[in-house]
Amino acid sequence: MEQAVLEMVGISKEFPGVKALDGVSIHVKRSEILALLGENGAGKSTLMKVLAGVHQPSSGQIKINGKEVSIHGPKHSQELGISIIYQEFNLVPHMSVAENIFLGREPRLITGVIDRRRLRDETRQWLEKVGLTALSPDTLLANLSIAEQQLVEIAKALSFESNIIIMDEPTATLNEEETEKLLNIMRDLKKQGFGVIFITHRLEEVEEVADRISVLRDGKYIGSESIKNITRHQMVTMMVGRELTDLFPKLQGPYEEPALTVERLSVREYLHDINFTIKKGEILGIAGLMGSGKTPLSKALFGLYPHKEGTIKVGGKTVNTPREAIDAGIALVTDDRKDEGLVLGMSVYENLLLPSYRRISSFGVLHKRNKEKIVDRWIKALNIKVHHSSVEVGTLSGGNQQKVVLGKWLQMDPDVLILNEPTRGIDIGAKAEIYQIMKELAEQGIAIILISSDMPELLGLSHRILVMSEGTITAELDKEHFDQETIFQYAAGGELHV
Amino acid sequence: MKKLMSMFAVVLTLVLLVGCSMDDEASGKTEKEKGSNDKLKVGLSMNTLNNPFFVAVKEGAEAQAKERDVDIVVTDAQNDPGKQLADVENLLQQNIDILIIDPADSDAIAQAVKKANDSDIPVFTVDRQSNGGDVATHIGFDAIKSGNIAGNYMSETLGGKGNIVEIQGILGTNVGQLRSEGFNQIVEETPDFKIIARQSANFDRGEAMKVMEDILQANKEIDGVYAANDEMALGALAAIEAAGRVDEIVLIGCDAIDPSMDAIRAGKMNATIAEPPFFLGKEAIDTAIKISDGEDVEKEVILDSNLVTADNVDQIKTK
Amino acid sequence: MSNDVTVSKQEKKQSLNKIDWLSFLEKYRVVLIFFLLCIVAGFLSDAFFTTSNIMNVLRQVSIIAIIATGMTLVILIAGIDLSVGAVMAFSGAILAGVLTAGLPLWVAILASTVVGLLFGLVNGVIVSNFGVPSFIATLAIMVIARGMTLVYTKGYPLVVSNEAFRFIGSGRIFGIPVPIIIMFVIIGLMFWILRYTSFGRYIYAIGGNEEAAILAGIRVRSIKVAVFGIAGFLSAISAIIYTSRLMSAQPTAGTGIELDAIAAVIIGGTSLAGGKGGVIGTLIGALIMGVLDNLLNLMNVSPFYQNIAKGLVILIAVLIDSRFSKLKRS
Repeated sequence: MEQAVLEMVGISKEFPGVKALDGVSIHVKRSEILALLGENGAGKSTLMKVLAGVHQPSSGQIKINGKEVSIHGPKHSQELGISIIYQEFNLVPHMSVAENIFLGREPRLITGVIDRRRLRDETRQWLEKVGLTALSPDTLLANLSIAEQQLVEIAKALSFESNIIIMDEPTATLNEEETEKLLNIMRDLKKQGFGVIFITHRLEEVEEVADRISVLRDGKYIGSESIKNITRHQMVTMMVGRELTDLFPKLQGPYEEPALTVERLSVREYLHDINFTIKKGEILGIAGLMGSGKTPLSKALFGLYPHKEGTIKVGGKTVNTPREAIDAGIALVTDDRKDEGLVLGMSVYENLLLPSYRRISSFGVLHKRNKEKIVDRWIKALNIKVHHSSVEVGTLSGGNQQKVVLGKWLQMDPDVLILNEPTRGIDIGAKAEIYQIMKELAEQGIAIILISSDMPELLGLSHRILVMSEGTITAELDKEHFDQETIFQYAAGGELHV
Repeated sequence: MKKLMSMFAVVLTLVLLVGCSMDDEASGKTEKEKGSNDKLKVGLSMNTLNNPFFVAVKEGAEAQAKERDVDIVVTDAQNDPGKQLADVENLLQQNIDILIIDPADSDAIAQAVKKANDSDIPVFTVDRQSNGGDVATHIGFDAIKSGNIAGNYMSETLGGKGNIVEIQGILGTNVGQLRSEGFNQIVEETPDFKIIARQSANFDRGEAMKVMEDILQANKEIDGVYAANDEMALGALAAIEAAGRVDEIVLIGCDAIDPSMDAIRAGKMNATIAEPPFFLGKEAIDTAIKISDGEDVEKEVILDSNLVTADNVDQIKTK
Repeated sequence: MSNDVTVSKQEKKQSLNKIDWLSFLEKYRVVLIFFLLCIVAGFLSDAFFTTSNIMNVLRQVSIIAIIATGMTLVILIAGIDLSVGAVMAFSGAILAGVLTAGLPLWVAILASTVVGLLFGLVNGVIVSNFGVPSFIATLAIMVIARGMTLVYTKGYPLVVSNEAFRFIGSGRIFGIPVPIIIMFVIIGLMFWILRYTSFGRYIYAIGGNEEAAILAGIRVRSIKVAVFGIAGFLSAISAIIYTSRLMSAQPTAGTGIELDAIAAVIIGGTSLAGGKGGVIGTLIGALIMGVLDNLLNLMNVSPFYQNIAKGLVILIAVLIDSRFSKLKRS
């Protein structure tokens, strides 16, 4: 067997009261892409932090090129040839691309004085390697798209001249096309001899690029398998620990009555002449690239743009402000759980009750029993995994946080539910549960607008899909007519490529 | 947890620092309390000790208290009427025999005076009056008269004719307003006086310098400058000196603090008005003793304001 | 990988012209506001555009601009320093005290700058090593420094009689007042440090994304301590000029100057959130406030209205600011 560039043997890590890692062993070889799989909370992040030198393992060995090492800190980790690209970028928004790439190790003229010319030249060289040939090293990072920032992160990682690159959910914020580009870069890195560890929830990406998978569950090492010898279904089973028969539940047909009608909706710079109707019990998918107007559409439907044109009608009522939207029974679950959906420092209990305080209090006084009834009901109905409702929301896993957000809005008995990226960053087990919840809601007659960049999710759940590009709807596709290829082509500009 | 610990450490340091600086005062006080239950104990609630005038009032009172063997407890309200009310309440708790107040605010202090009335402690005001409650007396200077003196001197020196600059004090205070009122009474009676600039510098030297610099830029001919206190007069002087216009301008201040007396001796400033705060403090203690001895005091005692010029600068006593 | 041009990219190129134009305005809007104010001032007062008045304004601005320069650094690392005014008063008092004791001028200057630096370093250590929010830490230090000033001066101004010392505040070199020269030297130096040294760039990195700075192996704590130290040091420099101009150390010196300094920094376009801005903007911000003060005095506007006018100008400057950032986002 060829020697591994990185080998971790029997790594355990204990935090007070928790065994985060329990004898985990993984390795990656030169010119190999290893996909590290596991549900949220399985221990992937802890393992990466051990590699980054942020945590010291309680026991176990780390070998680089066969030599045992102990990693003292982030800088030491880099010196050992390990580069980690975190989920949340470690870039400084108001500094240039070049400064970001060489932060902390700028070329110097004399002590303390930066050699700007060399900084620029060397940056250009690394940017070329990730295909950003046209980008000036002096561009402010804040002016780049998310995808470009991701590439800058990778350029930064390469510039350390490391031989091990670890990517933690690099595709979570990218659209289909950008993802494809990133996967190409990963293949290229592999060709150049790097050992790559790829952490992701998207199994189709794993099948596309990975050579081998390793699976963690509850801090334990479950197994490793060559990609040729395993199916997607088997991967899921390894991750979840049980058979997950149907990721996407079978949908019933929608009702006939319309729930929401949009006519000639325009918002300057974002949306242009949008028309559609959604029926009760229907799940309407919205597809499109980043910047296609998906998120503005969700906001416009909720009355968040005061200067819109056109009408939005729900059961005869028109919607112009968020208050009217709530009164008409529209609920909006944004794509930004942390900033818009939840108060992370408050308990599950309080978060769940936040929107209904108005209804369950009389003269401003809250009834304790009412409160508890509501909270218990949603924790049960949505299967929120929490040992007590007084736990801070911030400590829950992504999937459970998302369920709290859902619960928050479902108490309002909405007629129309707008979900923007409801499963982003959520592990497969929780995804399946949320899909099941959506199906049940639709059967109760709730109209669901599902905005997602997860293509299988859109295809598997929607009755109908609208494709958006540059603020307009470029296609409306029925279940019989939609497939990934078609949607992608409409999303890219509305015309079919030859 | 670490955060909490460090917060705790900071608070502890602060407490220690404050504790150290208060140590000698506190221990001194208890000693006195022990030794002399028969001695008269006076509470003096100052509006601020962040201004030389009031510091001198306090020092005058302390010197006289030592002289006449009286205990004195001083508080500093830092110009905050709310804090002054609390100060008075604290003083009343300390078994004082008589209370002297230099109010931060004439209206707000009425509450504090009433508190003293309720606990049957005689109370009187110095410098600024109280608009409510029963006070035994009030000792102060006549700020309008002080303004008049400045105006008259200006008129005499300039022969009743010229371009005049007025630098006002804090406009929210009695002293600031009344001195200005007194000065302007004379200006209005003098038809050939022309006020070319009237600005506030908040009784502060640095601000007065800045204001005067701007005024010097805007006006080529300035004959007289009246500043409502000496601090501001000295600030104006710094600006005038820098512009090399000392000889053209008659400069009058007020309060007769030492540096301005020096400036008068050096011929840089023409006059100031002696309202020696030190005497005010002394007079306050003497009055307190009179009241406690059951002697009659007048309802209002106005101390003399005297014009100080190069002619009498060496005769005037301010301490 | 070679297939670089994407749909989103083309879109971006098309809107690039508009963004460029806006970012030009965004970058230089303070300068525009400043010129506009100067033009208005020139129309309103004949005395405004004279050499002597311009020198006058610059000299008046120098004290606040130097303090605001230190404040800029602190705000760039997403902190705040409320103690600058109190530290200025205390450094000034030490300076006057040492001179009065008959020691040479250089000893006095050294003593006061060391005192300023020490206060700054203490701020820095409390903030970075103990994790106390800078607002509270510097508030505490502010109160302590004010108290120490009163104890040291006993509430009286300390008069300075050293004639050589007068040169710093009132002297001229080639006809230019010394405080103006000191101001430009300091701002020039800070501009260069922020732009061309790793220390300067790390300040931006810490303010923009502290986590990233830590992961890049930057010694974040030391840099924070140094930044607060510089702010304290510059407070002392201001104290030297202020004391020399008045030839006396005022116990109340610098009262409220921290707020003027913060206003100058914010008007100058430095973000309170950190990581964005610079000292040139701060200079312009200080100048805007200085010119406004000067103009209102030149026109002999009643002091009752002066504060309102000043408040309104600050508000307008900040409103224009938020307007621009909104436009740019869309």
